[in-house]
Formats: sequence, structure tokens, C-alpha cells
Amino acid sequence: MKLAILSESPADEAALRVLTEFVVGAPVERLATNLRARGWPSVEQILPFVLRHLHFNTEADFLVVVVDSDDTPVHTAEHDAPGYFHPQCRICRLRAVYRRTMRHLPPAQGRRRVLRAIGLAVPAIEAWYLCGRDTSVTEAAWIAGQTNGRPPYTRRELKWKVYGTDRPSLTFEIRRAVEEVARHHGDVRRLENDFPHGFGALARDLRVTPDARM
Amino acid sequence: MIAAIHFRNFKALRSAEVRLGAFNLLVGPSGSGKTSLIQAILQLRSLAEFIDVPPTGPLAETGSGPQIVFRFPPPFAEVQISLGCGADELVCNRLTVHAPESLARDAWMALRPQLAGARAYLLDHYAMGRPSPRSAVPELSSNAGNLAAVLAGWQRNAPEAFRSVVKEFCRWNSEFSDLAIEEGADDTVGLLARIRGEESSGVTAANLSQGTLYSLAILTLAAMPDPPSILCLEEADRGHHPRQLREVRDALYRLSHPREAGLVRDPVQVVATTHSPYLLDLFKDHPEEVILTQKQGAAAQFQSLVDVPGVQGQLGEAPLGDLWFSGLLGGVPEE
Repeated sequence: MKLAILSESPADEAALRVLTEFVVGAPVERLATNLRARGWPSVEQILPFVLRHLHFNTEADFLVVVVDSDDTPVHTAEHDAPGYFHPQCRICRLRAVYRRTMRHLPPAQGRRRVLRAIGLAVPAIEAWYLCGRDTSVTEAAWIAGQTNGRPPYTRRELKWKVYGTDRPSLTFEIRRAVEEVARHHGDVRRLENDFPHGFGALARDLRVTPDARM
Repeated sequence: MIAAIHFRNFKALRSAEVRLGAFNLLVGPSGSGKTSLIQAILQLRSLAEFIDVPPTGPLAETGSGPQIVFRFPPPFAEVQISLGCGADELVCNRLTVHAPESLARDAWMALRPQLAGARAYLLDHYAMGRPSPRSAVPELSSNAGNLAAVLAGWQRNAPEAFRSVVKEFCRWNSEFSDLAIEEGADDTVGLLARIRGEESSGVTAANLSQGTLYSLAILTLAAMPDPPSILCLEEADRGHHPRQLREVRDALYRLSHPREAGLVRDPVQVVATTHSPYLLDLFKDHPEEVILTQKQGAAAQFQSLVDVPGVQGQLGEAPLGDLWFSGLLGGVPEE
């Protein structure tokens, strides 16, 4: 499988490289290794250009995109209903950009289109790093906090839990990101259980078989 | 550390106050007071170097002339130091300590070395590119023109700091595998960066790119074995690719938050200026470290980013640099 990753930082990218291999259960070949976004909404703005580039100029099978939810709604099963679109949900928005961009592109590079694998880290990717280590950090806890107006933790607290500081150096951040996701040893069931909508959506996208593409 | 500075009739700072923390990023248009703030700190440093027993007394406004008042965190929260001058004088060189009588002398004795330890840098790649005379003083000059001499001194006397700079330099600039010190004529030294895979030759400092030299200077500042108490850096983003600014920020954080970087030493108070929205983006999680400087007519003001109404709600919706550029936060040129 050949894939490109569009993320906000080299640390996110290092973690996603490991996680995508865990999900597909095989080594992946990374293409277009210099893609980077400046955070939301920059990801949404540059996504059409990235998709067109990958579609016409590379042999990429997938584009992996993961964004932080911050305080926006979590993508839930209701959002996957046919025709449903939540205007604040970042997965819904990125999928809509994907649909609009790819709709009229002709086949290229021997395949119909680049597939998308979109994840939503709730509220930030450090939550995924804590999976299995801190049982209080889950999508369910975050959604409950959004409902009752009392977030169970902040982005800053998640950073402290992962890095021991909220000012980690980039090299330390990369090291910790890879250490934490490597704990799953190829088995992402716990991540899919604790983060069914943000990580689960990414995993389900990545498991689309090549046959389903044409 | 300086907790706050109040300015009255000092250049464009007619009546302005700024609170300072361990790390302070000043953003704003030209002429809005960023450099004036640094000049005030340098003036305080100069006077602290020379004045053994300053006058003391209650704080009072000094007519229409400029006045700069510095406040400090505990245990010196009751102490203020003012710089002032008459309306017909050009330089604020009248230093007065304002504190309860019993405190003033001890407070000055304790604060003086910290204030005298302030340094400011405006890096100059032309100066850095030239060989520099060997120097017994291991301190980086304000334009980093003696960078080669400083690193040559560290190679002999502070090898751990030297190795750390070389290692980080090669990580930031992956085309290089090593950094060597070259002996020059007339007891000068120069820098030679070894190209990975072509170690027999090298690139002299004069031929290194502007950004490469700036990255080396920033790393040298961050690795100083005996850093200043206050470090001011003009245009911290200068010459750096936007993606490398995270490394620049990390290097400066090593000075201001050494414990969080695993270092055992006192923190350095950092005051940096920038015009880069990309550098500003990196402070989304620490808006308290950003100070907006604004001009209204001929007068300039400071405002902490956390004091901008509604800013927390906006931060999740757009990069901080874009919000600043848009004018929503202030700190942009008047049109």
C-alpha cells in the first residue's frame, strides 16, 4: 500500500506512520513525504490541492489526514447516515472537500482515485497516545464533558500527561509519540474501542480493500 | 526577572505598561515600541553595571521628561526602579530605587547583578561570516560577529556545550556532518561546516547561507554555559524557513524553561520580537507569552494576547498568525 500523510507536525506524522501500519497489518510505502498543514482550517483549505497533486502526480493509494477536534463536535455514527453533514464536524467537512474535489477527476496513474483516510483526534492527538495508559481519557469521556459543559481534561493537561511539560521540544515530542503508539504492538483494538469515532473512522477508511476502489 | 515596565513619554510609549513573564514574544508593526522596550532594559543594564549606591526615595512623576519604571516579582514585589531624565536631556540615566527604607539597599544588591546580566542580540550574518579575533571573553557579541571565537573558546573550555551546538546544528541542517574551527591569520578563527559525504572539504562561514548562520547563532545562544539573566532577541524568525521556527522556539524555550528541557540551571527571561505569523502560530497554547504592540497615531501601547476579548474562542478556529494578520487581535499597521 502506498500512502501520503497530511498532518500538522512531524510528531503526528511519525505516530501516524506507525498506526497506519498497525491498522493495515503490513508495511506501507510513504509517498509525498513533505506534506504539512498549519492546523485547522489550513488543512481544509489545502486539501483539494494536495488531493489533485497525489491523484495526478503520484501512485498514492491513500491520503491519511488527521486533525485535532479542539472544541468542535465529535464525529458520531449519526454523521455517517446517507446525506448527513454536520457543518461543525471536522470529519464531515474534510469528507465533503474530498467528495467535491474528486467528483470530476478522471482516472490517473492506473487507478480511479486516491482514497481518503480521515481521523479526528479528540480533542488532540495526545489523547490517542494515552490510550491504555490513562483510562479516563476516551472519546466517551470527552463527549460527556461536552454535553454537561465540564470538559474532563484540557489539551494542556493531555500534553503534561504525555510529555511531562506543555512545552516539549520537537525531538522529544516525536520520541514520545512513537513510544506511546508502539505500545499497541500492532493491535489497535483498544484505540478503536476508546476512540471509536475519531480513530475508528480512520481505521475503517484504511481497511477499504483495493477491489472496492474501482 | 522583570515583572512589568511602565513607560511615560519614552519615544512612542507615551503612557504604556507591559507585564513580562519568563518568555515574551512581541509582535506588532514597526515603530510600535518593541525595540524601545529592549532599549529600556539595556539602559537599565548599563546603569546597573556602574552604580554602586543608587539614590532612593518615593516614586514620583518627573515632570514632562521620560520616565521608565521597572517592577519585579517576589521577593522584590515591593521594589520599583525608575529611570528618568529632564525634558532637555536625551538619555534616561537617573536611576532611583523605590522601596521601603529597610529594603532598598539589600534589594539593589540582589537585583543589580541580575539586571547587569541582561543582553540583547540583533544577529548579523555578514559579521558572523567573517573570521573573528580569538577572544578571552567567551560571550557572544550583540551581532554574533564573534561567533567563531566563542565556539573556538567552548571547544577548548566548554567541550560539552560545543558538542551540543555541533550536534544540533547538524540536525537542523542535515546536509552537514560536522562543524570545525579553522585557525586563520593574525590569531583569528573561522568556522568550517563539513558537508555530509564530502568530509575532506567544507563550507566556510562566509559561504554559509544567511539562515544557516542564524540557526548556528540561535543554537549558540541556547547552549551558553553561563547564559545572561535576560536575553532580548530582535527578529527571532529572521532567515528561518517557517517549518524551522518550531526548532527556534524550542531553542529559546530551553533558555526560559530549562527544567522542562531537563536542564538544571536558572531560567533566562527571554524577550523576542517577530513579524512572522508562522512563529506566532506556535504560541496558540501559550497566548500569555504573546504581547501585541500597537500604534494609535503617534502613541504606542502594549497588550497581552490573553487580554484580547474573545481570543480563546477564536484560537480553535484559525491559526493564531492568521488571526493577527487579519487585524482581529490588533498589533497591525494603521492604514
